[in-house]
Amino acid sequence: MHEVNPIPLTFRLVSAVALVILLVPVLVVVMAGLNSGDFLTFPPKGVSLRWLIAFFKSDIFLPAFGVSFGLALLTTLISTVLGTLTAIFLTRSKSRVKELLRGIIVLPVVLPGVVLGLALYIFYVWTGVGLARSYWGLLIGHVLVTMPFIVATITASLVDFDLSVEEAARSLGASPWQAFRKVTLPIIAPGVSAGTIFAFIISFGQFELTLFLSTPDLQTLPIAIYTSLRYAFEPTAAAAGIFAIALVITSTLVASRLVNIKNLLNRR
Amino acid sequence: MADATIQKRPSPRSRYPLRPQLWWLVVPAIVFFLIFFLIPVASLFAISFDKAASGVITFQGNFTLENFYRIFSRALYFEAIGRSVGIGALVTIICLVIGYPLAFIIARTLRPAAATLLTILVLSALQLDMVIRLYGMMVLMGDKGIINSVLLGLGVIHQPLPLMYNTFGVIVGLVQVTLPFMILSLIGAIKSINPSLEEAARSLGSTRWHVMRTVTWPLSLPGIYAGTLLVFALAISSYVVPALMGGWKVITLPIHIYQQIAEVGRWQFGAAIASILFVTAMIALSLYIMAMRRNAGGRV
Repeated sequence: MHEVNPIPLTFRLVSAVALVILLVPVLVVVMAGLNSGDFLTFPPKGVSLRWLIAFFKSDIFLPAFGVSFGLALLTTLISTVLGTLTAIFLTRSKSRVKELLRGIIVLPVVLPGVVLGLALYIFYVWTGVGLARSYWGLLIGHVLVTMPFIVATITASLVDFDLSVEEAARSLGASPWQAFRKVTLPIIAPGVSAGTIFAFIISFGQFELTLFLSTPDLQTLPIAIYTSLRYAFEPTAAAAGIFAIALVITSTLVASRLVNIKNLLNRR
Repeated sequence: MADATIQKRPSPRSRYPLRPQLWWLVVPAIVFFLIFFLIPVASLFAISFDKAASGVITFQGNFTLENFYRIFSRALYFEAIGRSVGIGALVTIICLVIGYPLAFIIARTLRPAAATLLTILVLSALQLDMVIRLYGMMVLMGDKGIINSVLLGLGVIHQPLPLMYNTFGVIVGLVQVTLPFMILSLIGAIKSINPSLEEAARSLGSTRWHVMRTVTWPLSLPGIYAGTLLVFALAISSYVVPALMGGWKVITLPIHIYQQIAEVGRWQFGAAIASILFVTAMIALSLYIMAMRRNAGGRV
């Protein structure tokens, strides 16, 4: 008996091309960060940790890594709270407005980051409350672009949530808040955690939005690497990249253990 | 609160007692999006209709269409619109052609471990900082990059191939950056096709390619529409790819926006270009959302 729809050879070959395009640049960064020469040659001269050490001594990349990390943590915290509340509303409300709301919330992710950054900057200058070129101004932008990911992940886990469990708690005398915290939250916790991980990574790697909002003394890692790429291919930047790659792979693995990735792909 | 009524019956989904208070949950998000998303975007549109004044950001209230007139009357700017749209279209087609087979394999492989591994690889590629991925691309594709030095070393070529700092480089870079979005949009659509439809066509004597063309592909159209529109919107919006891979030689709309504002200080004109880009992306995205709805509605 043959497979129902065996995968054609052409498909396998083209898929291999797609995987090469997706993954080889990442491998190159790892090689560039671990090579022992002043720049990456092929085949590489040898393996060394000198660039990783240079990264820890760098007064550009290490602080930038720190800024990105802290910013991503704070961003994630805020957008998780806002996003969880929104996701609960979106899965339970019967209101027609929710479709519109769902549409608006997705927009910041898919609209041009440069345009959104510019719009925020103009708005900050107009209002004159000191958000322009400030940490808080940048933070607000990052919350905008990470919230959709939280809402999507948590909505995915709430869709399968059996409301009668929460109602049972309510009928036994729990307040809405108690029922949420003791019953609903533990059940949707994996989804919430996965959402926070995605949000963290999105904020950590955000470039386009940050372009108009960051300042020379408030450089995030993507901006620092971008600036160095305009002049040379510094292996120190690649070493910083290795840490970012490790962070992304670990968190994607953790997130995939927490939620069924397939649920995310079937959007509702 | 309607606590008394709940205790008497097992409450069905439709009469959930929390409903009246639900609105409070979403108030913070609505306020946040209103203040920091809708109003800023409105400000951007407002300033683009303001009279051009170099270095002035504040709203002057002199209504004019001059900024938009200027974009469409100078070849420099309307050619950039054409270039952005053309590159976006080409990138979209390439992503569809090389993304469809991989999405098909992920959706249809009989080995769940392989599907999970491939999905994680695509997700990781999607999430990794674009600038870091572009670093890798630039080391690969530069004049002294890995590809050229290997080919020169093997004696296949005698001059380095111009792979980067041109339109070709921008297209390859954009494909790298947007491909995961295409693949993820397609997986769901292909999965929702009932395999027995393909099986039936096969058992009635169709060849594999014929089934692919007449059954699988048409049934995955909602995912194809969604993926192409999303990739197109992302491709025309990208600043960092044309900036790095094009080396400021491939001037697309986002590059113009940045130059007008950061280098020349023409806020009103930059905002006008940004508004055009915004509206173009918005049209593609509205179509995308409509395609996603059909996608979700068509699931078995």
